[in-house]
Amino acid sequence: MLELRELVKHYNVGEGERVRAVDGLTMSVAAGELVALYGPSGSGKSTLLMLIAALLRPDGGTIRVGDREISSLSEHDGARYRLRDLGFIRQSVSLVPGVSALDNAALKLLGTDLNRRQAHRRVSPLLEQLGLGGRLHHCPDQLSMGERQRVMIARALSTGPKLVLADEPTGSLDSRRGREVLELLAAICHERLIPVLLVTHDPRAATFADRAHVLHDGRLVDHEPALDSALDSALDPVETR
Amino acid sequence: MRLRNILLLYRVRLRSRLVQEVFAVLGIAVGVALLLSSQIARASLDGSLPQSLDGVVGNMRLQLDARSPQGFPERLLASVEGLPGVVAAMPVLEQRATLSGPRGQASIILASTAARSAGLGGPLLRHFAATQLERQQAIAVALPLAQAVGLSPLQVAHLQIGSRREQVFIGAVLLESEIGALTDSPAAMAPLPYAQRLSGMRGRVTSIYVQSAPGREGEVRRGLRRLAAGRLNVQSSDFAVRLFDQAAGPANKSALLFATLSALVGFLFALNAILFTVPQRRGLVEDLRLDGYSRRMIVEVLLFDALVLGAVASALGLLLGDLLSVLLFHGSPGYLSFAFSVGSRRIVPALSVAVAFGSGMLAALAGVLIPLRGDIFSRLSLQAGARRGARGARHAAEVLAVICLAIPVAVLVAAPRAATLGIVSLVAALLLLLPSANRAIVAACRLLARLRGGRALHLAAVELRSDSNRARSLAVAATGAIAVFASVSIQGAQGNLQRGLDDSVRDLDGYATLWATPYGPGNLLMTTAFPAASARRIARLSGVQSVQLYRGGLLDYGSRRTWVIAPARTVAHPVPLDQLVGGNPALVASRLRSGGWAALSQGIAAEHHLHVGQSFILPSPRPTTLRVAALITNMGWPPGAIVVNADDYARAWGSTDVSAYGITPDPGVAPARIARELRRALGPGSALVAETTRQRELRGRAASRQALASLLQITSLVLIAAVLAMVAAMGALIWQRRPHLADMKIDGFGRGVLWRALVVETALLLVGGCFIGALLGLYGQLLLSHALAVVTDFPVVYALGTPVVLTSLGLVTFAAFVVLLVPGYLAACVRPSILLQD
Repeated sequence: MLELRELVKHYNVGEGERVRAVDGLTMSVAAGELVALYGPSGSGKSTLLMLIAALLRPDGGTIRVGDREISSLSEHDGARYRLRDLGFIRQSVSLVPGVSALDNAALKLLGTDLNRRQAHRRVSPLLEQLGLGGRLHHCPDQLSMGERQRVMIARALSTGPKLVLADEPTGSLDSRRGREVLELLAAICHERLIPVLLVTHDPRAATFADRAHVLHDGRLVDHEPALDSALDSALDPVETR
Repeated sequence: MRLRNILLLYRVRLRSRLVQEVFAVLGIAVGVALLLSSQIARASLDGSLPQSLDGVVGNMRLQLDARSPQGFPERLLASVEGLPGVVAAMPVLEQRATLSGPRGQASIILASTAARSAGLGGPLLRHFAATQLERQQAIAVALPLAQAVGLSPLQVAHLQIGSRREQVFIGAVLLESEIGALTDSPAAMAPLPYAQRLSGMRGRVTSIYVQSAPGREGEVRRGLRRLAAGRLNVQSSDFAVRLFDQAAGPANKSALLFATLSALVGFLFALNAILFTVPQRRGLVEDLRLDGYSRRMIVEVLLFDALVLGAVASALGLLLGDLLSVLLFHGSPGYLSFAFSVGSRRIVPALSVAVAFGSGMLAALAGVLIPLRGDIFSRLSLQAGARRGARGARHAAEVLAVICLAIPVAVLVAAPRAATLGIVSLVAALLLLLPSANRAIVAACRLLARLRGGRALHLAAVELRSDSNRARSLAVAATGAIAVFASVSIQGAQGNLQRGLDDSVRDLDGYATLWATPYGPGNLLMTTAFPAASARRIARLSGVQSVQLYRGGLLDYGSRRTWVIAPARTVAHPVPLDQLVGGNPALVASRLRSGGWAALSQGIAAEHHLHVGQSFILPSPRPTTLRVAALITNMGWPPGAIVVNADDYARAWGSTDVSAYGITPDPGVAPARIARELRRALGPGSALVAETTRQRELRGRAASRQALASLLQITSLVLIAAVLAMVAAMGALIWQRRPHLADMKIDGFGRGVLWRALVVETALLLVGGCFIGALLGLYGQLLLSHALAVVTDFPVVYALGTPVVLTSLGLVTFAAFVVLLVPGYLAACVRPSILLQD
């Protein structure tokens, strides 16, 4: 599980001014739980993800993934943690052009001790589970945006992570594809008992999430009006009409 | 990380950037090729003379050497053999000659020794004994030489030594299996008595090679000095190699300087080609880091990229370099064969191969790792946006650029030989200034868009401002800038040197209007002496106003084989004004005419610590005390020149022989008419030929162009590389822009507008880049010209080469626009549907 306690990260922005990107945040995500995190731009979502991914060191507080404290990991251990224990799904779909879905999904595994065949054996069932069984040997330009995002999800899950962070995974998808991706994430989270923290603007995420929070000025705002207002503002104007 | 996985990762990614990788490979390969071919040329040149020499001297370690081609009496051999500590002595007669056959002429060294001594010498002379030529009146030549002039065994050829022209019998043609690498030496062998008869030097030789008993070399050397009595040289038998190294040094150094700079330019082109893949690699590095690849693993992955790129490019470069050395960079500049027995064998040293390969690997490592160092070692961020400290970095870059611009000034003033450092600084300044230039271009474009309107201009302004296009824009501007910089500086410097040599040739031939000299490709410097028997006959020809006796020769002075030029007292300017470095021209002329004075090249004066007005002893056959009248350039002869008047020369050489007749026609009489009359008067059997100043000038220019051929070829290659780099950069820019163009089409922009915007954008980038390139190129031209003048002592003429700038600019821009016009238009025709495949 993921456990954040009194997490603090401040930035100096010059002339003595400090921005409290994450300001004493405490929360947890249990195994098999999908938590959606909403928040306006500049609310500290990305900083929080970077702290959990051991890409930034907090100024205070602790981050535990399973029974491991990761807030003070060295650069090397941080990389090792991301490789073995963390699955990171990015908003931008950065597949290597001209390379098959299978190879793209296996890219992360090449950093481990597995060879190509073993890596393929590991990611093939994942891709099949994600509905890409018939597209294993297709290159990115032969895949739809939704399919490309699913290849990215397969890559993130390929090492059997203890925690999945998803940063706007539906940001570049239409509503149908977005829903499919959210369904998949929820299914994987529940079947594999992986904690998933989903940072999103997508209001549909709340329906798939076990919990939803709003991040505002680096703090969690849990009461319903704030969440409703965040969801309203996040909803597409056309859909709300 | 497992090597197999690194390999797999490489293979996987290679597919997505194959074209850019090919361009990078080509860029590095060009650099490696230039470096290797110039090294091969240098090694071949340096190695050919020792080979020829070994063929003659064998194990002999000392030599008693004549100071003029007239040699010394053979009877001195007995005295040498009688010296304590002498084990063996071998008399040798070496004469510069021209061998003529059905297919042409070749300048050769006719080497000969006594039959009883032949076994003591090297393979060339040993073979002479083995072929029993000593009993015959015949010569032996190596197969390549025989083939070059169209001769075969038992055939009759013509041999010209000085003004003598004789028929000779080819007794043997020697194969490589008999004399090994010496087959490529321009030498012929003859029995000593026969060679003496052919050259009109009965009872005379030019050298005696000596083998001393172990540990007694010093004693033998002292004995030889006593016999020499200050009129002959006592040297190590390989002394000619040292003289040759000195003579070939400037050509080698200038070729190496050019090759190094070209390699730098090749590397920069490669770096630019790699720059086009930087956004892709940067994305990959970021992804891999997010995926948990450690810095070490990422460095391993990138190192592997670089190693494969470097290995492939260097291997290709070695092949290209080898090919270049065969086809273009021949190792024997003809002008050195006027004074040395230079062969044409190609020597490929293992060290040169290793250095060229290593340079290619280093370039690839730097090219791949340097642009990504920040991405590997900086903190990762999930947010795209402006980087902090950009303004600070900009100021730092501008300050650094100013420092880089100041370094060449220091180099020019304090250490002109360190031109490579100056050029590297200029290139650094160029690259540091480009971002500022780009900002200026963007501002200009915005202003234009505001003033003139027009969608294409507006679009171009937006594209130029875009952060995502910055790396590509910079790469295009940098390619244009470096291409023009390299062409302008290298071509300009080569042009300045060429002009200097041309002037020198013109000045020398200007001593007279018409010349009569022993003909032969090796006598361009007019150093072949002959008896002045025809002077009166020539003076009596109608239309001839006067005949002057010109003398000249080669003289070993210190570590230099200098060129002694001795015009008649009557010439107006014994030292051509262009060649005078220090001293009053009128005073110099009057002193030289009066006799007892000499003008020396700066290099010779510096080596012997001589200044104007000081006395020195000219080590001529009859050592003569002279005073320094002036300092001059080396008159185009790398080891340097000494100018005295013809009478002083005759006194110092102890001979009234001349090297040429300088003829002045009566006013209004065409030189060509006199030349015809002269040919008739001399008759068909004469070895003297009549040439007008213009004809000699053309021959001289051809020779100087041959001497600078490697520089010219390097210059051409740089220009070709520049054009190719420009085509590659433009191709990559346009190809990578296709999805964006499709996006714009979806937004309603037509192909015409997009194409025009592309043209405007590229034109602005090129104008900016090429302008800075041309500007700094002129600076580089000055730096290189000065370095060449110092390194070679050649008479360099400084001129800002506007035609060179225009040609380079024109070619590079033309190449860019050809790519822009056709593939650019095709790219603008991209279907929007490529973005709508979902």
